[in-house]
Amino acid sequence: MIGEEILYLPITELAKRIEAKKLSSADLTKAYLDRSEKLGPRLNAYAKLTPEIATQQAEAADKEIRRGHYRGPLHGIPYAAKDLLAVKGVPCTWGAKPYANQVFDYDATVIDHLHRTGAVLLGKAAMIELAGGMGYRYASASLQGAAKNPWDTKCWTCGSSSGSGAIVAGALAAFAIGTETWGSIVCPAAFCGVSGLRPTYGRVSRYGAMALSYSMDKIGPLARSAEDCARVFSAIAGHDFNDRSTLPIDKAAFTYSASLELGAKPLRIGLLTNAWKKLDIAVEKAYTAAQRVVRTHFPGTRSAALPEGPWEDAGSVIIGIEGAAAFRDLIRSGKVTELTDPLGQIAGYVNEQISGPDYVRALQVRDILQRKMTELFDTYDVIVAASQPIAAIPLETNLETDLVFPDPLGAIGNLCGLPTLSVPCGFTDKGLPIGIQFLARAGNDIAVIRAARTFQQYTDWHRRKPKLV
Amino acid sequence: MSKSEKRYSRRDFARKAALFSMAAPLAAGTARAGIPDSGFGADEQPKLPADFPKLSDRSRAEVEERHQAILKQYGEHLSKDQKNDLKRLSFLAQPPLDHLREYAVKNGDSPALYLKPSVDREKKPPKPAAAPVAAAKKP
Repeated sequence: MIGEEILYLPITELAKRIEAKKLSSADLTKAYLDRSEKLGPRLNAYAKLTPEIATQQAEAADKEIRRGHYRGPLHGIPYAAKDLLAVKGVPCTWGAKPYANQVFDYDATVIDHLHRTGAVLLGKAAMIELAGGMGYRYASASLQGAAKNPWDTKCWTCGSSSGSGAIVAGALAAFAIGTETWGSIVCPAAFCGVSGLRPTYGRVSRYGAMALSYSMDKIGPLARSAEDCARVFSAIAGHDFNDRSTLPIDKAAFTYSASLELGAKPLRIGLLTNAWKKLDIAVEKAYTAAQRVVRTHFPGTRSAALPEGPWEDAGSVIIGIEGAAAFRDLIRSGKVTELTDPLGQIAGYVNEQISGPDYVRALQVRDILQRKMTELFDTYDVIVAASQPIAAIPLETNLETDLVFPDPLGAIGNLCGLPTLSVPCGFTDKGLPIGIQFLARAGNDIAVIRAARTFQQYTDWHRRKPKLV
Repeated sequence: MSKSEKRYSRRDFARKAALFSMAAPLAAGTARAGIPDSGFGADEQPKLPADFPKLSDRSRAEVEERHQAILKQYGEHLSKDQKNDLKRLSFLAQPPLDHLREYAVKNGDSPALYLKPSVDREKKPPKPAAAPVAAAKKP
């Protein structure tokens, strides 16, 4: 019988036990499946469990390991994939009713890569319909309903990787794959008290993944620690001939070893002064304490400021028009009205009206911003901010009217395809997690991993567990 | 408060990644100032945030044009509530476009969009030139 304390172990610990044959992948997989069957529906965490695939892959992993063929740290480790990644023969709903019966006959590259590492697919994680591509007003904008936060089931996990956040926080899997176009990894990581890596744009293939915004979609892991994220990232990163947007082989591939950090140059850290206009009191308290940790362990840490400009407008225009293009048939056929959310049913009609010149203007602004950020990263290796200005919100919140604040860092990071890693840095008085994010120059994913990993070496927020019975 | 902070005084959180209009920078101002004085009856005025910016006549015309274009294309499939909501969304769509157009961009500023040209042909060895054969025929 595998207890909860095992299920909450990081990949690095689980891998040691599996490699040493002290823990079988089959037993671990069964324990996660049992827990997922029991708690998954309570959290609306899964779109679909795949016990047959999981059992088969776990048994194959054990067999190989017994024969002495250990593939690496993900071998035999159970995970969940956001329900916008194609898995051969398994429904891939994109969280939306119009695609409820969609099945692909091939695996997404990310799924294929994880399969090659010996990871075990437990199921497809629930998500906001079309990853929020048509807009949404409520957390319930999903085929599974609102994903409930394991720290407080009256609160949301945040979207659009809403199920992925719930799954990792609730220990329904060792890690989960999410995607981000703007905030969909960072926010669930922050709200759910887990670690989430949004990699550099182009490092992870999107072949077999639903497209929302061709120039901004990214795929990344949610896991228990920065090091776990690095392990998963090294498995899924790489050039893909099937995805022409991936970076060249030498720029896309990522190899991680904790020893890489030995002897590395000290990171130059900048604490952002203008990432958020205002922080919630509890967030400010936790983030202030987290800043002290950063200053202590990164000597020379200074204050930094983001450049000012219409970055959010540019990001919104690009996502709006690319989303309208990606779902043109859905919008024009009228099937968009089958979406759950009242905003999602009509917002695409407005986005369709954006003109070509406005789109190109947004892309010109993006180029200017990229140059400004390159200059900023000449001074700093990593810039730091609170992941979100608030903690998890009630499930019934009207996101359109009751949750508004500027997010220039989210716009900049996603417009420029910059890597960021969000890790827990405290809790509110009500026991809701708070996150801190580390962001770096495009391609410098290792810097955010180093910074977040160092932070986690001196804090234990990522080891806290919600009381889920 | 900086000029930028004023411009970005309120911002939609969840919709920002989805609907461009939702990321509209809602500058300081009054709802009354932002609602157009033509095109809609008082009972049809959309409910806009209190600090929605005052739009220029040209922008207001664009809002109207956008709304009408949507109604013309999709109107028969839309309920009255949806039509009204689309009017509101058409307004919210305008400020980000206005801000983008105001931002100084030169003709030579290239967009951050690139196309990776197919280089497969370059990998193939070049065909042998015909010239030597022809030359061999020469005495």
